[in-house]
Amino acid sequence: MSSNPISNSVNTKRDAPQARPALSAWRDWLGVIPFFLFVFLFIALPSFRLLIGSFQDSDGQFTLKNFADLMDPSILGAYWVTIRISLTTALGGGLLGFLMAYAVTVGGLPRWVRSALLTFSGVASNFAGVPLAFAFITTLGRIGMVTVFLKLLGIDLYDKGFSLYSFWGLSLTYMYFQFPLMVLTITPALDGLRREWREAAENLGATSFQYWTRVALPILTPAILGTMILLFGNAFGAYATALSLTGGFINLITILIGSQIKGDVLHNVGLGYALALGMVVVMGVMMTIYYFLRRRSERWLKQ
Amino acid sequence: MSYLSISNVSKIFGGVVAVEDFNLEVEKGEFISFLGPSGCGKTTTLRMIAGFELPTSGEVVLDSENITYKSPNERNVGMVFQSYALFPNMTVAQNIGFGLQVRKTPADEIQTTVKEMLGLIHLEKHAEKYPYQLSGGQQQRVALARALAINPRVLLLDEPLSALDAKIRVELRQEIRRIQQKMGITTIYVTHDQEEALSLSNRIVVMSQGRMEQVGTPSEIYNHPTTEFVASFVGQLNLLPVSEVDLKNGVCKLNGQLVRFDHSEPRQISDKPRLAIRPEEFQFGQAEGRNLIQGHVEVVMFLGAVVRLRVRIGEVLVSVDLFNERNMTLPRVGDEAVVNFPPHACWIM
Repeated sequence: MSSNPISNSVNTKRDAPQARPALSAWRDWLGVIPFFLFVFLFIALPSFRLLIGSFQDSDGQFTLKNFADLMDPSILGAYWVTIRISLTTALGGGLLGFLMAYAVTVGGLPRWVRSALLTFSGVASNFAGVPLAFAFITTLGRIGMVTVFLKLLGIDLYDKGFSLYSFWGLSLTYMYFQFPLMVLTITPALDGLRREWREAAENLGATSFQYWTRVALPILTPAILGTMILLFGNAFGAYATALSLTGGFINLITILIGSQIKGDVLHNVGLGYALALGMVVVMGVMMTIYYFLRRRSERWLKQ
Repeated sequence: MSYLSISNVSKIFGGVVAVEDFNLEVEKGEFISFLGPSGCGKTTTLRMIAGFELPTSGEVVLDSENITYKSPNERNVGMVFQSYALFPNMTVAQNIGFGLQVRKTPADEIQTTVKEMLGLIHLEKHAEKYPYQLSGGQQQRVALARALAINPRVLLLDEPLSALDAKIRVELRQEIRRIQQKMGITTIYVTHDQEEALSLSNRIVVMSQGRMEQVGTPSEIYNHPTTEFVASFVGQLNLLPVSEVDLKNGVCKLNGQLVRFDHSEPRQISDKPRLAIRPEEFQFGQAEGRNLIQGHVEVVMFLGAVVRLRVRIGEVLVSVDLFNERNMTLPRVGDEAVVNFPPHACWIM
């Protein structure tokens, strides 16, 4: 080793890696250009158009009437029913999905059940719109297979107050794609629960209930919250399934937007844009709540 | 009857015998190590004591109570895991107090115990930190305190130091021994590190392929191994082929040179008898009353406190450890070497 600090310094400089040429840095970004292009064309531009359009009347003049119209009881009712259906299916689908994921991960079911459930979930979570509505009509509609079969057994679902075209019927239909999404997103989190945590808890005297309430569920909370907000958004923005199933019988906000933008009777594009902006606000509020809950629940995570 | 009694315990996993006919009597306050290579059944045995595995046969009796089929949360046995297994959502203090909390111990009592345990592991200033904010050594100390906080009847440690670096390992091993002696707690320690087992234990159980090879004090295990496995697993051992073995008079021939060996203990020898001798028993040069063998130095390795040589004697390579001295002249490769060793330090296997 040289004792001369100057020569050391010179050597260090000579050995230091050279800065990468600008061209190479640009090349690294080439792969993600289509992504940014999509984000700009199909998220940023429409959002901007939506924002501007919500402040315009049918002649393109500035107005606040579209927002004043949002206070109409029928529109507020549409928001409320959409939020309710989203919350119901997020909680119901979330719970069902969690229990199923639990059964195939820590529940000790055979490996093939896990593979079957995950494959089904991958397909079912994307099975929505007209095909899903049709599938439910043919099984649980007024003359659906299951309805008729149960009738033969002396159980008339529709006589007992059930209707596929009601709030609960639509919720049930939504659950079909909600719970598989929960299964897909929560399974890795459940896999991440280390066996030693359970054993350590048991070894210290905890019952299974104490382990779940004090260790496992608190550890899973950030993942569960994240999935619940995903499920909420999934149901909140659903359009084709509800329209195909109920034909506008249930006044969802997405159906209302559709009829304002492309309908012949209620055509008011500006109001449609304002309704959509209202949805953005609702999702924003949900995301804010989620953000605070998540921050509280993951204080122990490495920042 | 001893404090912990493991009788005729076996464990079979899907036709594979993990533990076979394990028998051990442990006295209260004893520090026992299960030592053996990976897959020898030491962790399975520990897990059967903890209740995480049920024995296929046999029984475990602790403090006159048969706990063989008791669930883990009813045994009051503390366990420290290799991977620490601290609850990441709890602070250090909450982790230590967890066992007392689930037992519904009064809050002030929990607080006192947690404080006492933090003092014991010298982590008073870290009580409110989360596990990710601690080093590996600190996390393992918290895991130890957590296991001790419930005042367990037996403390089980499953390779607790193997995830740590060498320096921390030595420090923490002394810490574990200090705490164990201070609390007088009966401890079972699983390790594959012979140095850990030798330095910590009152007794060592050497295991291989699910069976107990030997049970004894560290000195017995090292100086008087009863099987070839124990002799070669614990410490270094030269096994040199010999001929014309006379067990009665304790003499044989090593590469044509006459060698005397210890024949005070009756031993069974194999069809191909070998002379067993540890590398540190050799000295360079001639000495009266000792065995002498001649060869050539083939390898010289300077290891700091020890200089390890490989000396070729005919067809055989002998490992020789010499303690380093400041003014020592190191042998060179190719040098002719005469090494001597005492007859009582070698035996026939």
